[in-house]
Amino acid sequence: MQLQTGTFITSVIDEKPTLSSAYDKPINAYDEAFTEDRQPRAHWEALLRNISNLSDEEMLDRQRRAQRILREDGATYNLTSDPLTPSVWSLDLIPNIIPTDEWLEIEQGLAQRSNLFDLILKDLYGPQELLKNGIIPSEIIFSHPGFLRQCHGVMVPGAHQLLHHAVDLVRDHAGQFQVIGDRTQAPNGAGYALENRTVVSRVIPNSFRDSQVRRLAGFFQSFKNMLTSLASQWTDTPRIVMLSPGAYSSTYFEQAYLSNYLGFPLVQGSDLTVRNGAVWMKSLNGLARVDVILRRVDDAYCDQAELRADSFLGVPGLLEVVRAGNVVLANPLGSGILEAPALVKFLPAISEFLTGKQLTLPSVATWWCGDKDDLNYVIANLSNLIIKPAIRSHSSNSIYGHTLSEKQKLNTIEKIKKAPHLYAAQSYVPGSMSPIWLNGKIQARPSLLRAFTVANPTGYTVMPGGLSRAGESTKDSIVTNMSSSKSKDTWIIAAEPEAQSNLITDQVLLQDEALQANLPSRVVENLFWMGRYAERAEISMRLLRTIFKQMNGIDPLPEESRRMLLEMASTQTGCLPGFMEADEKLLANPEAELVSIITDGSRAGSVKANLQAMLSCGEQVKEMLSADTRIIINELRDHIHELDRAYTNGLPSAPEESLDSLVTSLLALSGLNHESMLRGLDWTFQEIGRRTERALQTATLLRSALTTPLSSGPQQQILESVLLSVEALISFRRRYRNRARVAYGLDLLMIDGTNPRSLLYQVEQLRKYIRELPRNETTTAGLSPENKIILKSLNDIQLADLEELAKIDPDSQSRLKLEQLMTEFLAQLEQFTVLISDKYFDHTAGPQSLTEAIRGTNV
Amino acid sequence: MRYRVRHITEYTYGAPVSLCYNMAHLLPRDTRNQRCLNQKIQINPPPVYQNDGEDYFGNQTFYFSIQEAHKKLVIDVTTDFEISPLNVLQWQMQSTLTCGQLRAQLSNPNTPELRMAKEYLLDSPQIRCSEDLKAYALSTFTDDKPVLQAALAFTHKIFTEFKFDPASTTVATPLEQVLKQRSGVCQDFAHLAIGCLRSVGIPARYMSGYLETLPPPGQEKLVGADASHAWFAVFIPELGWVEFDPTNDLMPSDQHIVTAWGRDYADVTPLQGVIFEGGGSQQLAVSVDVKRV
Repeated sequence: MQLQTGTFITSVIDEKPTLSSAYDKPINAYDEAFTEDRQPRAHWEALLRNISNLSDEEMLDRQRRAQRILREDGATYNLTSDPLTPSVWSLDLIPNIIPTDEWLEIEQGLAQRSNLFDLILKDLYGPQELLKNGIIPSEIIFSHPGFLRQCHGVMVPGAHQLLHHAVDLVRDHAGQFQVIGDRTQAPNGAGYALENRTVVSRVIPNSFRDSQVRRLAGFFQSFKNMLTSLASQWTDTPRIVMLSPGAYSSTYFEQAYLSNYLGFPLVQGSDLTVRNGAVWMKSLNGLARVDVILRRVDDAYCDQAELRADSFLGVPGLLEVVRAGNVVLANPLGSGILEAPALVKFLPAISEFLTGKQLTLPSVATWWCGDKDDLNYVIANLSNLIIKPAIRSHSSNSIYGHTLSEKQKLNTIEKIKKAPHLYAAQSYVPGSMSPIWLNGKIQARPSLLRAFTVANPTGYTVMPGGLSRAGESTKDSIVTNMSSSKSKDTWIIAAEPEAQSNLITDQVLLQDEALQANLPSRVVENLFWMGRYAERAEISMRLLRTIFKQMNGIDPLPEESRRMLLEMASTQTGCLPGFMEADEKLLANPEAELVSIITDGSRAGSVKANLQAMLSCGEQVKEMLSADTRIIINELRDHIHELDRAYTNGLPSAPEESLDSLVTSLLALSGLNHESMLRGLDWTFQEIGRRTERALQTATLLRSALTTPLSSGPQQQILESVLLSVEALISFRRRYRNRARVAYGLDLLMIDGTNPRSLLYQVEQLRKYIRELPRNETTTAGLSPENKIILKSLNDIQLADLEELAKIDPDSQSRLKLEQLMTEFLAQLEQFTVLISDKYFDHTAGPQSLTEAIRGTNV
Repeated sequence: MRYRVRHITEYTYGAPVSLCYNMAHLLPRDTRNQRCLNQKIQINPPPVYQNDGEDYFGNQTFYFSIQEAHKKLVIDVTTDFEISPLNVLQWQMQSTLTCGQLRAQLSNPNTPELRMAKEYLLDSPQIRCSEDLKAYALSTFTDDKPVLQAALAFTHKIFTEFKFDPASTTVATPLEQVLKQRSGVCQDFAHLAIGCLRSVGIPARYMSGYLETLPPPGQEKLVGADASHAWFAVFIPELGWVEFDPTNDLMPSDQHIVTAWGRDYADVTPLQGVIFEGGGSQQLAVSVDVKRV
């Protein structure tokens, strides 16, 4: 690294290199890395020395590597629902470092805080002594939407109600940690912390090794133990699932990552159902009992029957199962009340009242506007405060007093005065400065730390680390959300090296495997559709590529062939009317329509729409995809962006080449499925999707290309185009030389069982796969309907007389028999997909509310 | 006085419902002057799961779930009660706590009861305090007036100024609308009174139940002609919760049968829940019969 301002300066004094600060002393803030006299703090020295030995290029290279790993892991923080442009999780290479002795104090403080929050939760949903005795002004609780009266008296078995807890901490200018907020419903961040650790330890392995960083695995083992113990009253082998709000939730990556790491299926509300007083997962094998739910869905959205009826994320009837003690939720429903910002003000008094002890880890100074004196203080000191509405929602975020204009201040005061009990205020602590690597140099940025605790039988286990975040700009000096900040790994430096602990012990692994084998049917359905969309996209692209080649050939294409090829493009993609019955003008200038068929993502059937749909399905089952698959999927995304760029101004100069990389990626994907995926049901369903779709696409192609007879030249051209599109032209020429008869083409594409693209091949494979499906017993009624339909299709293809099919019917002047056969075949396969999806996938319509119409009437 | 109440709720669906989860507030509770002697609930089709319990407000709940396809759901509840009269006249003469005193006590609560009563001063799912509601009630609840006398006067005010008209509102009609049009049904009047009382700083809660009705002279009483009813109660520290019925301009004594109470209707909805599939056009028929035994 160069010796200049703005980067590290190394100098040699007394033969021992020392480092001085890379940036100016921050004003009025604690500096994490450097002392008052700008020397590295002892616990930072090793890391800073390691980093200073790296050149700028090396540093940049590592940063790029980290981003690449994150992207390949699918580490995203989605802010949009666009599957094409997820935001990659932003990670700074330089970790946040805390020495062991300091951490011990924080750790105790955090465990004490979790313990206190647990007691508060028990009291609020139980005897309410805190309210009756006026320790917490009752209106804070009573007016808070997180106080769910429906949950009154519902208790989790075991010692604790609060099962896991996230605490946001900042350092004040003196270096003292203060709590600025708590997350108690469905805290997120622990999975990101784990991913950060994984990436950082790979990208700067030397520093990591040298620093004796405390490991995170033990914490996650505690987490797992806690969840396993929750259902111990009725089972030793609980089925634990993680309930996600779905693939469009902003932290879906984390959910997928954690569920994989912990070994629990990731489910959505509609994957679960309440029957006979218990919760069940809808799986391919039928219903499977669920004992413990680690939830990422907020309190009010968990049960449409008793909580918010308009939720799309819940499981109707869930709360009653909890109440009856037949399932345990972590955290329990109703725990959101602990996030009420005003509560923080009363914590010291609460602690005194409930435990007789003082809190060792302080919270940031907090005022509650429901108190007259506090209200006056808040009005007088608005500029130095953060106003926090009691009700946290998308529309009412925290208000930063120092950012308000005079007029905005008056408005804010007006708003508070209308319902003062709904507002709390916090003093504004800008947070300590941490070094981050930004724009090629080390800079200081304000940072905060999210810490995590999890209940154990005697208290709380604290993660030795956490999720640190640093603002990207210096301007808005508090880090408010995930999107405008960089995350950091957090290193707690141990006094001596730690014994290795592996997360997954053998025993746990075995048990999980049996449970994991049972997938929610939604997952399988997404894999099925992923296979179908991939195949659909591939065939359209192959056909389009062929069309471009033919149209850009050396000899001009006869009118007849040109029209036929363009019509095939429309039929195959289903982008109609397109070229069907097109006028001369459109046929002469087909470019715009072709561009639309390829790049218009909003047009159903277009190449891009199919690829997008495929990526969406992939997103939904992120946790099921292998690392290599994710790499290919990322490539696909890149290729789609390239395609968009290439087609910005209409058809590119060599359009036949523009689709090559996409076709290759799709082939890689299908190859990977074959070579790397275990032959489980997930694989089988993906294959069924692929095979069915390939059969459908091929039959469509044969019907649209060959029904109408053409004069001999064009007929040969079209037949060759069909063969080229399905990668069979070379075999065809080898087998039949230059005798381009339609019947020969049909031989290769319909009934040649050795051609992996023939119809026969697809149907034979399908017949094999459906035998492996669960619930496929032959009953007294005979074969199952899906078996019957596949057998019939198989017979139809095998018994077909190709010469007959190729004959031209004199009345209609078309290959009528071919058309009829293909039409019937298509109808049968469509019917087959309906049967499969009705039998194995879940199509329950969402719940509806009972009409609320009972109303009082009187004389 | 002894009563037998039979309350039949009947849902008819356009298409079969395959699955339902319901929480019912149909089983009456005990109160200071009301005791349930016998209780019977019959549901058809029979639920595969049922559980009775007590909610946050101490009301009886009945949870059930049906897993067989049905086009019709019938819930038939029969309860026998013994109700003793309340000495409301004595309260009226003796209760002297003024609105001003009550407001002062609430702003600086020094007993558990006062602290807990604050729950009924705050906005609730269906009742929001407002300047309009405050304006309508302010002159009745002046600092110097005894709370009970003021509430009685306010009950009379609603009775005389509002028209009972089932056609004028639905369950979804907002309070502001009820206040403006000066008409509604018992539930609207109860909500309106509660909203007004809270807006002037007096804790109030929603009461749901039944009322015995008498047939016109010379006519036989029709079975099922009674109805569910709603009224409100006011917190007066020396007396506890005191009830008022603005629809009939009186203080309930032994003709009002209480099913449940809460902050408003949403807390004690007779039947809430979800159904799967079918449904479509839901039709609801309710029949209530209150009989002296």
